[in-house]
Amino acid sequence: MAVVAETLPKARARVFHEDDRLLVSAGLYAALGLTIALPLVLMFLWSVADGWAPPNVIPRDYTLSRWLDMIADPGLLRAALNSTVIAVVVTFATALIALPTAWAMARFPFRLKRLVEIFILAPVIIPGLVVAVGIGQVFLFLGLSYSITGVILVQIVGTLPLMIRLMTATLETIPDDLIHAARSLGAGTVGVVLHIILPLAVPGLLAGGLLSFIGSFEEFDKSFIVGAPVVETLPIKLYTFLDPYSLQLPIASIIAFILLLPALIVFVIAGRILRDDLMAAGMGKL
Amino acid sequence: MSELEISNITKDYGATRALHPVSINVERGEFVTILGPSGCGKSTLLRILMGIARPSAGEIRLAGTRIDPLPPETRDIAMVFQSYALFPHMSVGKNLSFGLRMKNVPSPERARRIEHALEICNLTGLVERMPRQLSGGQQQRVALARAIVMQPRLLLFDEPLSNLDAKLRDTLRQELVYLHRRIGTTSIYVTHDQAEAMAMSDRIVVMDGGRVVETGTPLDLYRAPTRAFTAGFLGQTNLLTADADGTRARLPWGQLVALSAQAKGIARVSVRPETIAIRQDDTGAGTVTSVSFMGANALYTVGIAGTTLKVSQAGGESLIAAGSRVSLDFNGALHLLKDRELPEAA
Repeated sequence: MAVVAETLPKARARVFHEDDRLLVSAGLYAALGLTIALPLVLMFLWSVADGWAPPNVIPRDYTLSRWLDMIADPGLLRAALNSTVIAVVVTFATALIALPTAWAMARFPFRLKRLVEIFILAPVIIPGLVVAVGIGQVFLFLGLSYSITGVILVQIVGTLPLMIRLMTATLETIPDDLIHAARSLGAGTVGVVLHIILPLAVPGLLAGGLLSFIGSFEEFDKSFIVGAPVVETLPIKLYTFLDPYSLQLPIASIIAFILLLPALIVFVIAGRILRDDLMAAGMGKL
Repeated sequence: MSELEISNITKDYGATRALHPVSINVERGEFVTILGPSGCGKSTLLRILMGIARPSAGEIRLAGTRIDPLPPETRDIAMVFQSYALFPHMSVGKNLSFGLRMKNVPSPERARRIEHALEICNLTGLVERMPRQLSGGQQQRVALARAIVMQPRLLLFDEPLSNLDAKLRDTLRQELVYLHRRIGTTSIYVTHDQAEAMAMSDRIVVMDGGRVVETGTPLDLYRAPTRAFTAGFLGQTNLLTADADGTRARLPWGQLVALSAQAKGIARVSVRPETIAIRQDDTGAGTVTSVSFMGANALYTVGIAGTTLKVSQAGGESLIAAGSRVSLDFNGALHLLKDRELPEAA
């Protein structure tokens, strides 16, 4: 610690110079290319390659047959529809359940709060497979297995922790004075929730909603154990294309591309909705 | 019957008592300041008035109606917060119309009242702005406009100027006084700033340790405080012990002075620095220990018979150098306090 304290004041202040611009942007673009573009390009090449043996830097022969085979599968559209419906329901249900919990976590001091926090995060810490097997047993007993309801419920277990954490963080930033002001201006509990808390919680709700949506859309192991083979979500359907006795990479690349699609769409939509000023208005100056 | 009657309000947090029975009456149209150091219970009292805290005992009546069991939204009270508490996701206009919409004021009436509030708070032309696009002073004006647009029976101010810089604070203080004169709403202003309290209020309620110490007009409290705490909190003072007999008393260094009231034995008095005349005198009992020239006046500290006195002299031709021997003259009678003992450091 002493060493840190001594060296800190001597550290050169980082000032962004005009001539650094080229270097910095080149570095950032290079990093972006290496981490995002390069894997995508490789994935795409694998998905259309007709054999890609080591000496070749790029494949010699190309084929669209794998893509066409997969897209032509009649079950694919149905699975995609299933996934979309499930993801939408999961997202809204998660938000609805998370909001009161997050409110309590953000606003009230209570005994064993730390313990409750860990309890909330438990599904993230424990592998999904373990959760699913445990819940699967209960669902079998309750008759929820092999039903969309069951898949939705088991997915909510996975999406809740993050949503609660995000909402707690957002709600913690709403100052008490705002709520007191609203009340003294004549707003009852409903008015305060509707006009003050919800609008200010929008950024958290959107962020949590996006993550829940994507999390639900791409969730495999829990849905597989509870729903398969009756309920087919997109990941379940896609993973069944994988054949352990042939080359995995081309098919896996196609699966990855299809699963990437909803995430991209959602982020583009979010980018449109989440304008700067809305974000700032939500977070406020206070 | 007073407009606002606070009777024997107490507040306990577990075993600690934040408010001892507090009773304050405020007349209609009056501007009353509750003044005290932090932790004196003034904010607790304000929260109780607003309705976000429940008193442990006692009652509050506003215009004859008991309000202490009512939730905040049904009380006819508006508040201006120290943090402004503007709704960050609403424009200035929306902030102002929020309360009116909540209370179902019809739209044309709403527009008229908002227009009026904007005009008297110098906010015309800022209706469309978001709070974060405004300066601190403008934000505080919006907070004020949002409160007065409600046309409440009672306006509460919670140190509304303490987040502003000194110059802006002065301007807004004057605007507030002017505004109060114009709209005449009964107001309670909470602050720890004695200058603010004296400049604005019809009456000041001095609080300390959860109790009301003293109540009076700024002039009375400054000229004739009955408690050492008031004397020390409102401006500067010297607290002295004298040996009294009737209306005359002997100070520790033997000087005979007049008292403001009858006393016998040990008497505690408050002497304002500006009521002491200082005179260079080689045979005087005092020694100047420091001099600070403030422009309009000079502040001296004088050591005399083991005590230190603050003396302020206005418009002197020349300064008395530190180390000089001086004698002190007291203009008029020394002000007798009711305290049994004096606080350690004044």
